Amino acid sequence: MPANVRRALLLVPILLVVSFLVLPLVAIFLKVLSREGIWETLQRPLVTQALRLSFITSLSSLLLAVLCGTPIAYLLARCRFPGAALVDTFIDLPMVLPPAVAGVALLMTFGRRGLLGPWLDLMGLQIGFTTVAVVLAQTFVSAPFYIRAARAGFQSVDQELERVAYTLGHSALSTFLRVTVPLAFPALLGGAVMAWARALGEFGATIMFAGNTIGRTQTMPLAIYIALQSDLTAALVLSAILVLLSFGVLFCVRLLLRRSPFGAYA
Amino acid sequence: MLEVAVHKRLDGFRLDVAFTAREELVVLFGPSGSGKSLTLQAIAGTVQPEAGRIVIDGQTVYDSAASIDLPPQARRVGYVPQHYALFPHLTAGANIAFGLADLPRRERERRVAELLTLFDLQGLERRRPHELSGGQQQRVALARALAVQPQLLLLDEPFAALDAPLRGALRQELAQVQTRWGITTLLVTHDLADAFALGQRVIVYDGGRVIQQGTRDAVFFRPLTRRVAEFVGTGNILPAVVEQMTAGTLWLQWQGRRIAAVPAQFVPGTPVYLCIRPTQILIVRPDRLAERERENLLCGDIVGTLMQAETYTLHLRLDESNTAYDLEVALPGYVYHRLSLESEKRIMVELRRQVLHVIPRDAGA
Repeated sequence: MPANVRRALLLVPILLVVSFLVLPLVAIFLKVLSREGIWETLQRPLVTQALRLSFITSLSSLLLAVLCGTPIAYLLARCRFPGAALVDTFIDLPMVLPPAVAGVALLMTFGRRGLLGPWLDLMGLQIGFTTVAVVLAQTFVSAPFYIRAARAGFQSVDQELERVAYTLGHSALSTFLRVTVPLAFPALLGGAVMAWARALGEFGATIMFAGNTIGRTQTMPLAIYIALQSDLTAALVLSAILVLLSFGVLFCVRLLLRRSPFGAYA
Repeated sequence: MLEVAVHKRLDGFRLDVAFTAREELVVLFGPSGSGKSLTLQAIAGTVQPEAGRIVIDGQTVYDSAASIDLPPQARRVGYVPQHYALFPHLTAGANIAFGLADLPRRERERRVAELLTLFDLQGLERRRPHELSGGQQQRVALARALAVQPQLLLLDEPFAALDAPLRGALRQELAQVQTRWGITTLLVTHDLADAFALGQRVIVYDGGRVIQQGTRDAVFFRPLTRRVAEFVGTGNILPAVVEQMTAGTLWLQWQGRRIAAVPAQFVPGTPVYLCIRPTQILIVRPDRLAERERENLLCGDIVGTLMQAETYTLHLRLDESNTAYDLEVALPGYVYHRLSLESEKRIMVELRRQVLHVIPRDAGA
């Protein structure tokens, strides 16, 4: 077989895969553009409320994941302790768990009839079917993405650099902020983006644990699901926004990492 | 003045060392994995020993008995690890300034500029570590460590990352820096040439223990055990037996030959090693044989020649010997050619008694 034919044959699966990935996205935009009243749809409460709520909850869960996940990731990267493998597995578990199971699990923990339900009741707190529940559901499924990436990032930072910083008079915290974090930054950013994207797309756990109330628990994926049955335009518009947002963020991070001085040894 | 005693177990490795040094340039010398770097880390305070005592110029920084354990931030120790560990995200200038964070900005900038000049790094302050040569990286690392005016400088294999020509130059540079700053320096190396060139005092490590410590000459020319003799490149470590002591001479039996050595306390019959460095064996030209009284003259054939850049090593098989070869003799290349040893196979050598070193065979491991 001549070389150019072999090369052409190789092109077939590549084209198949690429078009399989790209075509559905193109379809969304073609369908959106063929619709009337896109602007009006954008201003409907279903759409605006979902946008607002998704924005707030996904950023809140990201903040939670970064604040709580960073110390855990550092600990896992630097300390050897008995049961580390077990802790590791538990942290990774939500990534492979079906979201519906995560939803049930959260309900059985924080719901009114859950493990912590009576205590939360006593304190006058209700979590199930509130915005807090949305944030918890998103954090539960997305934090592992950040923690995993952060741990790998911290592990890649030479401990000798930290030791030198100590001998130069810097405290553990100062060393962490001036040496470890800057050097692990590409990994931290990458993990944060993955976690945020996962939180933004969270559907299963949210609908089980937080329900589907406009303005309180109906995030964009939920709104898309509801709209698909009654208002195709709204579903398409929301989908298009999610696609653009995801692409934009991924692309910006790529550019940022390439241009930043850290990129050189990331 | 440095006083170190460290006991530490780590992943099945046991470090159990003690040494003292009054000298300014001290070398920890030994094979890789013998605990040298771990000792440096214990002194720097980035590894905690299980027991021991570390005193730097009268200040106790660690003492398990007195529950003293200063954190690395308070030990005033300049630590330059292997490959320098420059902060890759910071410029050369920011690396040097890293330990000066507490100073006011003006003062900090002045100090950094001063150090850049002192270490001949002007114009490089904006470069990042990966844009610097190996020698420049080393100078930045030294400047960074010395910026905080430590009382002790710890250097871990400072020349490991460099090629041979640069090594020599940087050895000299380091010695100059040490003299200029007058700072007690502890240097880790597994390289014989480094240890010989720089160590005023040499601490020999093996398997987590100190197997000899002393001045450079003591360690290199008077090793206490066969193991140390091997480490310091003695070359000829010959199993012999003490025959007798007469007035002014210790007589040894080696391969049926009588060898005269400098007197020492040995009982006749004691198995010993006769140590002599290859460079200290003299080749005697037949026409000059009678110039003076000769000691321990031996004749043999050259059965092999090993040529390094400056030094040639000959393998000499003595007459009536049936081993592969008996002695290693090293000499400068030009002497080799002047004596026409390319063609000459038979030579006579003299082992002068002052350079013969005798150690008991049961000493150490």
